[in-house]
Amino acid sequence: MKRREFLKEAAVLANAAALGGLARGGQQRPALCPVTLLSMPDYGRDMGKEIADIMAGDGLVLKGKKVLLKPNFVEAHPERPINTNPAVIAGVASACLRLGAAEVAVGEASGHRRDPWFSVLSPALKSMLDRRVKCLDLNHGDAVATLNKGGRTGLPAFYLARPVAEADVLISLPKMKTHHYAGVTLCLKNLFGTLPGIYYGWPKNLLHFRGIENSILDLAQTVRVHYGIIDGVVGMEGDGPIMGKAKPVGALVLSPFPLAADTTAARLMGFDPRKILYLVQAGRFLPGLRAEDVVLRGENPKRFATRFDCLEDFKRARGGPFF
Amino acid sequence: MITALEKAALVNRLLSFALPGGGLPYYRQGGPSAEPALLALLALSASGAAGVSAKPLLSWVSGLQNADGSVGLNPDHRSQGLWLTAPAAVVFHHFGLKEARDRTLGFVTSVKSVTVANDPNIRQDNTLTGWPWVRGTFGWVEPTAWSVVALNVCGLVGHPRAVEGRAFLLDRQIPSGGWNYGNPGLNDRELLPFWDTTGLALIAVRGKTDAARVRASLDLLEKSQEKIVSPCGLAWTVMSLESYGRDASRLKQRLFGVMNSQPDDALNTAHFAAGLIALAGQKVFLP
Repeated sequence: MKRREFLKEAAVLANAAALGGLARGGQQRPALCPVTLLSMPDYGRDMGKEIADIMAGDGLVLKGKKVLLKPNFVEAHPERPINTNPAVIAGVASACLRLGAAEVAVGEASGHRRDPWFSVLSPALKSMLDRRVKCLDLNHGDAVATLNKGGRTGLPAFYLARPVAEADVLISLPKMKTHHYAGVTLCLKNLFGTLPGIYYGWPKNLLHFRGIENSILDLAQTVRVHYGIIDGVVGMEGDGPIMGKAKPVGALVLSPFPLAADTTAARLMGFDPRKILYLVQAGRFLPGLRAEDVVLRGENPKRFATRFDCLEDFKRARGGPFF
Repeated sequence: MITALEKAALVNRLLSFALPGGGLPYYRQGGPSAEPALLALLALSASGAAGVSAKPLLSWVSGLQNADGSVGLNPDHRSQGLWLTAPAAVVFHHFGLKEARDRTLGFVTSVKSVTVANDPNIRQDNTLTGWPWVRGTFGWVEPTAWSVVALNVCGLVGHPRAVEGRAFLLDRQIPSGGWNYGNPGLNDRELLPFWDTTGLALIAVRGKTDAARVRASLDLLEKSQEKIVSPCGLAWTVMSLESYGRDASRLKQRLFGVMNSQPDDALNTAHFAAGLIALAGQKVFLP
């Protein structure tokens, strides 16, 4: 399906969702999803305690748990903010340790670059992490064949990196970016990096063939994300996820509901999530699509709401003001 | 100068990762996987240590070969990772396993990437056939380069697939030099090269390509030496520069230093094995 067809279908689905027909079949009242905006003007602050307080306030229990942090590393570019900033990863890792996690690991199966030196085995990242935090190259390692609970791609199973399959708690830590095929890339799209490159290649072209949106949705139904923290301190606008420009927003978006984190981030970026196909479809099985499903906490969203530049095809997905 | 004793210590360190069942994991405490075993076998061969120590690895790898000649990722997922069949062909060739080698070559030459019509907005020839990571998908630089290397090493330099594979690789070369996963540019902007992929692609096209066509890539590696810091990047840069007769002695010393200083928990055995091949100086990826 081409991008224009995606958008056309998104508009139809959005209208249906607005009428209450699709999300949860109009039967069930959606859960209210807390989403917290944490002001973070730059990466210089030790953010561990603040993040721990918010996660605890959201009821995330980590005591004695095996926690996997899944940042987004695609490529290393000297000027472009493509990857989740190491300071955010270190802050979240520190927060998990504060909350009593038995094990904290940072794992990623980087989508373009095979050499783990440029992602989770980067000395720069390791130097910022607490010594107790492990770094796991998910591209090169064991995988567990896991039944695909979505069924849109036609793939019977996903080969999930073993640390993903075995984690008690998975925290998705994406960068706030536009995406040239999907519109935005946030907590749910970040799940591509749970699949090892030795099974899927670099890039994970099989997922492109089966439909990027289908793949995001199948993964979102198969892999449980327990918490999402979006690095919007500096995001990427324009031709994301690798060719865009830096866009400072100055906030982290935190939620135990990944779709709610994604839709809130999309609104902060100036996009109407009801016009982004995969977010609309994810609203069929995850709470948090509509603004009224979300309870915003923390800073006033007006402080951060902005308008991300995007490719022509996604200008139709713009909306707002939302706050 | 790296002494034979120092190289032997590196070989022993690599072998300390070997699993009781004969395989090798990428990382300590992982399960066995084909790529580290294949590169370790080549490292043992290049280091002159392919005696008794190679036998369990070779037997384990041979056991991964499927009826159709392909070699999969590991015993539990034999149908996955079919791109590993090409490096397996190189290993079977060097270890004199002719029947196994010929079966891998049969498989390699049968696998084709999906091609599509050219897009005027993207300056690459999408009609060229290369090799995919996964059957039924597009061709990408690394699996194509491995397949061309396998055909070259096994005496099929002139095979039509090798010829088209080289054309594919040259087409995906970034105009200012180097290769990445397989897109030289997007929307008229060049993408960044990767050191490891650049090294492998240069080795694949060597000998049958006009030197001028790859000069920018070789020059890029040469002038970027100070920026290349990872074991994997250093290993493939050393191998490719030496394949073209360029000096890589300083890089070799750095590679040796990096390999020695790597903590066990960050040591990727496939990259470590590639480092050993580079330090050995035996050109196992050339005909």
